Amino acid sequence: MAMMNDSRPHYPDYSTAGAVQHSFNPYADNGGSVVAIAGDDFAVIGADTRLSTGFAIYTRNQKKLFKLTDKTILGCAGCWCDTLTLTRILNARMQMYEQEHNKTMSTTACSQMLSTMLYYKRFFPYYISNVLVGLDTEGKGCVYSYDPIGHCERSTYRAGGSAGALLQPLLDNQVGFKNMQGDAFEKVTKERAIAILKDVFISAAERDIYTGDSIVINLITKDGITEETFPLRKD
Amino acid sequence: MFLTRSEYDRGVNTFSPEGRLFQVEYAIEAIKLGSTAIGICTSEGVVLAVEKRITSTLMEPNTIEKIVEIDKHIGCAVSGLMADSRTMIDRARIECQNHWFTYNERMTVESCAQAVSNLAIQFGDSDDDGSAMSRPFGVAILFAGIDEKGPQLYHMDPSGTFVQFDAKAIGSGSEGAQQSLQEMYHRSMTLKEATTASLTILKQVMEEKLNSSNVEVMTMTPGEFFHMFSKEQVEEALNLVVPMEKSQGDLPAAAASKATANA
Amino acid sequence: MSSALCPEIPTPGFSFENCKRNATLAAKGFPTPKATKTGTTIVGIIYKDGVILGADTRATEDTTVSDKNCQKIHYLAPNMYCCGAGTAADTEMTTQMISSQLELHRLYTGRVVPVCTANQMLKQYLFRYQGHIGAALVLGGVDSSGPHLFSIYPHGSTDKLPYTTMGSGSLAAMAVFESRWVPNMDEEAGKKLVRDAIAAGIFNDLGSGSNVDLCVIRKDKVDYLRTYDEANKKGIRQASYKYPKGTTAIFPNKTQEYKIEVTEETVTPYTMDTSS
Repeated sequence: MAMMNDSRPHYPDYSTAGAVQHSFNPYADNGGSVVAIAGDDFAVIGADTRLSTGFAIYTRNQKKLFKLTDKTILGCAGCWCDTLTLTRILNARMQMYEQEHNKTMSTTACSQMLSTMLYYKRFFPYYISNVLVGLDTEGKGCVYSYDPIGHCERSTYRAGGSAGALLQPLLDNQVGFKNMQGDAFEKVTKERAIAILKDVFISAAERDIYTGDSIVINLITKDGITEETFPLRKD
Repeated sequence: MFLTRSEYDRGVNTFSPEGRLFQVEYAIEAIKLGSTAIGICTSEGVVLAVEKRITSTLMEPNTIEKIVEIDKHIGCAVSGLMADSRTMIDRARIECQNHWFTYNERMTVESCAQAVSNLAIQFGDSDDDGSAMSRPFGVAILFAGIDEKGPQLYHMDPSGTFVQFDAKAIGSGSEGAQQSLQEMYHRSMTLKEATTASLTILKQVMEEKLNSSNVEVMTMTPGEFFHMFSKEQVEEALNLVVPMEKSQGDLPAAAASKATANA
Repeated sequence: MSSALCPEIPTPGFSFENCKRNATLAAKGFPTPKATKTGTTIVGIIYKDGVILGADTRATEDTTVSDKNCQKIHYLAPNMYCCGAGTAADTEMTTQMISSQLELHRLYTGRVVPVCTANQMLKQYLFRYQGHIGAALVLGGVDSSGPHLFSIYPHGSTDKLPYTTMGSGSLAAMAVFESRWVPNMDEEAGKKLVRDAIAAGIFNDLGSGSNVDLCVIRKDKVDYLRTYDEANKKGIRQASYKYPKGTTAIFPNKTQEYKIEVTEETVTPYTMDTSS
């Protein structure tokens, strides 16, 4: 019946006044979701416009999409102050590149630069879920998604932010045609991509408390960028 | 040459009353002591050809390296103080790699030249950067590369000035060679023609007899990028030079004899 | 050494074996499961003829909505209802248990149980558990002495108030009450006020959401108004998500044939002998 090998007597744990460790958390989670879908000749990205903390809403109309070039847009969700800082530095870097090399950065160049900028802060990262979309040099739509410390992955669709885990399987099925057989595989058109994007946000607003109010959708084609907004539930 | 030579030709941070920086001008003069290098840019690619001065029969010609690779898509030929050129080539290589690392794309030839130029003008006793050179580099560089604008040739002198060229010669025989290039170059030149032309001109301006061990040839093409000619390929290219020379007649008089130890 | 003849005497007192085990499990990434704690807006007011209770219908698990239309106004007695906020299981079980005790009490005494009795029972029960039962309640009802409204905190303290709010949306809801509540409101104004207070919670507190439930308790009649107001409509689908036939992957079909021998037999009925 040797229960405890410990030779110390087992007194119950009474709390005693002693040294107490306090800590400072430099990060905030301001929520928000980003969804992007790319096609052969377009890329579409949407982000909700709710900015919140804990159980409170800061604002119901915060744009979370950042136009980097005529062909590239970045969507950010997570710690908003980090987003502000990152996008400002990003814009400065874009301008420096333009002046140094006499050309606008390509989407691929942007994607790589963002990756190195994030990794530069490897041990004090920007707490942002980044999704970059654009047209590549061949005019093909592309989506790049990142983790907070710079891992970059190119894909054709991605959901990020607070409802990212909720929406990705939906996109896997509806855009990636995963777990399907037969002849359901048609390439997603611009119109369908935007419809799916709105629908997944409707679903996200149902179940994720940090997603709601409205979405801003940006569509990138060879003719430029168009923007639209779409209302979501506000509770 | 400089009639106003005075105490103003000492420091790199002192202009002469006429507004000249003598040390920089002297550095440009130093290039004219270097071995000749020729670059021709065609629509098919760029060719670089340089002379190697074999000053002793005991010398190992392979160890003289005047055409180097900066990145897969950029090569350069140097003339002047070889030791100085190492520093600049290192910088060019670092900048190209850095650009690739940051942007996942190849650096343009112009940007590469710009980056090296930034290094070239960091002479003088600046106090913020301890690693600055105390004098200008005594090197001229020909950058040959391929980027999204196609094949390109840039020339840079010790003042850091860089200019794009269709064809350019640097080094001791540059004056005569440049004149010959002016006559020979035309826009529809093939790369092969350009190679032959560059060797022909080298042959005209070189003191030594042209052979496969005292010349280096490199081509930069969109398909193959940096390609250094092997001994056999150089010989093959040299075979085409002889008949051309006959039809060409005499070379311009300026193909001077400025051979010095400044190899 | 223990044997069947001479068993080892166990050490006396509590065994802390499981505390150690739990700590080890937590360290290995199996933390103790958390109870569903819902962010909530619950309110109550006293008006001219009785009490109006209100609640939202969202239940959350961390940042995920676990129930979009749950009931937070619980039945205690025919003249008493109770809104619950906090740990879902605690509010549910506490109100149910008190409800049964109140019914027994009514049978013993043979009269309508006063609201203050329910309040006393709830606070004593919660105090006994020193706050470990995470139930924050708004108790409302009408008895022989008129309408009564209480707010009850998890540690057992209670307040008797003319209007009150609880839960994560309490501040938003209280802002509405503080600006608009007046004594002796009529029923329509009272319902509108409670609806607006809950709506303030629904829209401004992320822990609250979906619809508004009301419960109007008068001296003789109770109206339980489930989904009094649908504060939020779900968005309308933009695309169709019908799968063509055969889209779902299935394992290969296999048909097994069974040999069945059929033997035909004709049954002829015969008359039963029923003489004896």
